[in-house]
Amino acid sequence: MKPKIDVDYVSALAHLQLTEEEKADFAPKLIKVVEWVGKLEELRFDDSRIEGFSSVPFSLPFRPDEIRGSFPTESALANAPEKKKDFILVPKVIEEK
Amino acid sequence: MNLTSLSLIELREVIQKKEIKAEEALLAHLKKIEERENDISAFITVLGEQALVRARKIDGKKEKGRLAGIPIAIKDNMVTKGVRTTCASRILGNYLPPYSATVVQKLEAEDAIVIGKTNLDEFAMGSSTENSAFFLTRNPWDLRRVPGGSSGGSAAAVAAEEVTAALGSDTGGSVRQPAAFCGVVGLKPTYSRVSRYGLVAFASSLDQIGPLTRTVEDCAFLTQIIAGHDLCDSTSSAQPVPDYQGEMRERLNPIKAAYLGEKILEGIDLEVKDIYYKTLQLLEESDAQLFEKKFPLWKYALPCYYIIAPSEASSNLARYDGVRYGFRNPDYSNLREMYVQTRTEGFGEEVKRRILLGTFALSSGYYDAYYLKAAKTRSLIYQEFQRTFEDVDYILTPTTPEPAFLIGEKKDDPISMYLSDIFTITANLAGLPAISLPVGLSQGGLPLGFQIIGKHFHESDLFRLAFLIENKVKFASCKIKLPKKEE
Repeated sequence: MKPKIDVDYVSALAHLQLTEEEKADFAPKLIKVVEWVGKLEELRFDDSRIEGFSSVPFSLPFRPDEIRGSFPTESALANAPEKKKDFILVPKVIEEK
Repeated sequence: MNLTSLSLIELREVIQKKEIKAEEALLAHLKKIEERENDISAFITVLGEQALVRARKIDGKKEKGRLAGIPIAIKDNMVTKGVRTTCASRILGNYLPPYSATVVQKLEAEDAIVIGKTNLDEFAMGSSTENSAFFLTRNPWDLRRVPGGSSGGSAAAVAAEEVTAALGSDTGGSVRQPAAFCGVVGLKPTYSRVSRYGLVAFASSLDQIGPLTRTVEDCAFLTQIIAGHDLCDSTSSAQPVPDYQGEMRERLNPIKAAYLGEKILEGIDLEVKDIYYKTLQLLEESDAQLFEKKFPLWKYALPCYYIIAPSEASSNLARYDGVRYGFRNPDYSNLREMYVQTRTEGFGEEVKRRILLGTFALSSGYYDAYYLKAAKTRSLIYQEFQRTFEDVDYILTPTTPEPAFLIGEKKDDPISMYLSDIFTITANLAGLPAISLPVGLSQGGLPLGFQIIGKHFHESDLFRLAFLIENKVKFASCKIKLPKKEE
């Protein structure tokens, strides 16, 4: 597979902005890596054998549905870059028409 | 008595017997840090005064914990309450966590002393610690070389006797590879054996915390303390934790182990190959039955990993948006710009590269071709290991394809850097436990590692076999000649 990577599109999805210099550096390196991982193309899969991979070799337990304490507001806000009273400040989310 | 060269078990004994105080042990290590940090730069944060207050408090306690007064370093991607935790990234440069990771809580509950936070590749993405946003760490055996990564700071600090033991995290080899490069013991436990609560997530289905120590027994002892179920990590196992230290000394069952076929070893450093075969020979002399296995899927492990890990990373790192914590770039006029400017300035090059790779692999039109295919490959690799473990109890490999490389040598070639993890990555993909221990030195005086991969939850078996090898190779007699200044 010859991969085509639209670096502008992918970086927009990732909320990253690349300079022209970075694009020139990143794009070939990314393509090289994507070509390399394309090695998996060689494998043939019998889908019936490969359902349900789980990284934990046991079923995940549920914990009791009990109310437990959480961080006090002050410590939850302690690292906020900008805050006002008990709130984190962010730019206006809903844009005007 | 040279307090900094004692093993954890030895230091513990002299403190428990009150031959020395926790404060003395700590001061000796702080002095060593002061002497060696200029050369090595293993620590991002050293806790001097705060650790001293704690040591004095422990000295005054009647009932002391199992790690009373033992100085331990923590990789700077595990959160420590009130102590800056950076992940070696600008984006978390001033982050002060409101809680401590479960492993840190467990160590402190046993009266260990956290002496500092160690350097790493940014967000644990790398194999050399060169990707730290702050500075690079040097290998104590040769200051021109990397200590490995991403837990390079932890491995270098333990090797240089700046600290008795350390914790690292291992997503593709990040404990074992630096352990091998720095001549120390490093364990990646079975996935789910140790709680990941408070470990800053890189690739959640692969990450596991593990100890770095100077002896196998220290490693067993520390694993015993950090392992176990945690309500705060739903993927942590409820299986009881065995007495690793006790079981390590039990008689070994007849050793049945698989070793790698010649094809997988093609192209690796000749001295690494030589010491690998010598170690296998030592085992044969101990009546081990060794079987060559070809592992036809081994060559797909790295490409598989480099889809799965960046995909998970691109999702995990989406949380760094400048809203709730960490760095926020003040130069924005709307929300989207704030996200973009913050991330663009906050993340380093390798982190951006992996986020882009992961975003691409998960993006519409490519998901089936990349991510899904990698997930299926992972299942096949897992099955291949399961089949192998029907016949043997261990899989034996070199830890790394070469000894520690020079600083800057691989910086511009991501694939060459990724190949450092060729022997370690499979254990992460299959969730298996694996230990690396030093088995000798190269002609150039660099440590060489040997890796044992075991069955799920069979850490005791790994410790037993590693202990046997350790006693035969006597690596502890190899000493670092510090300081060896850069030319």
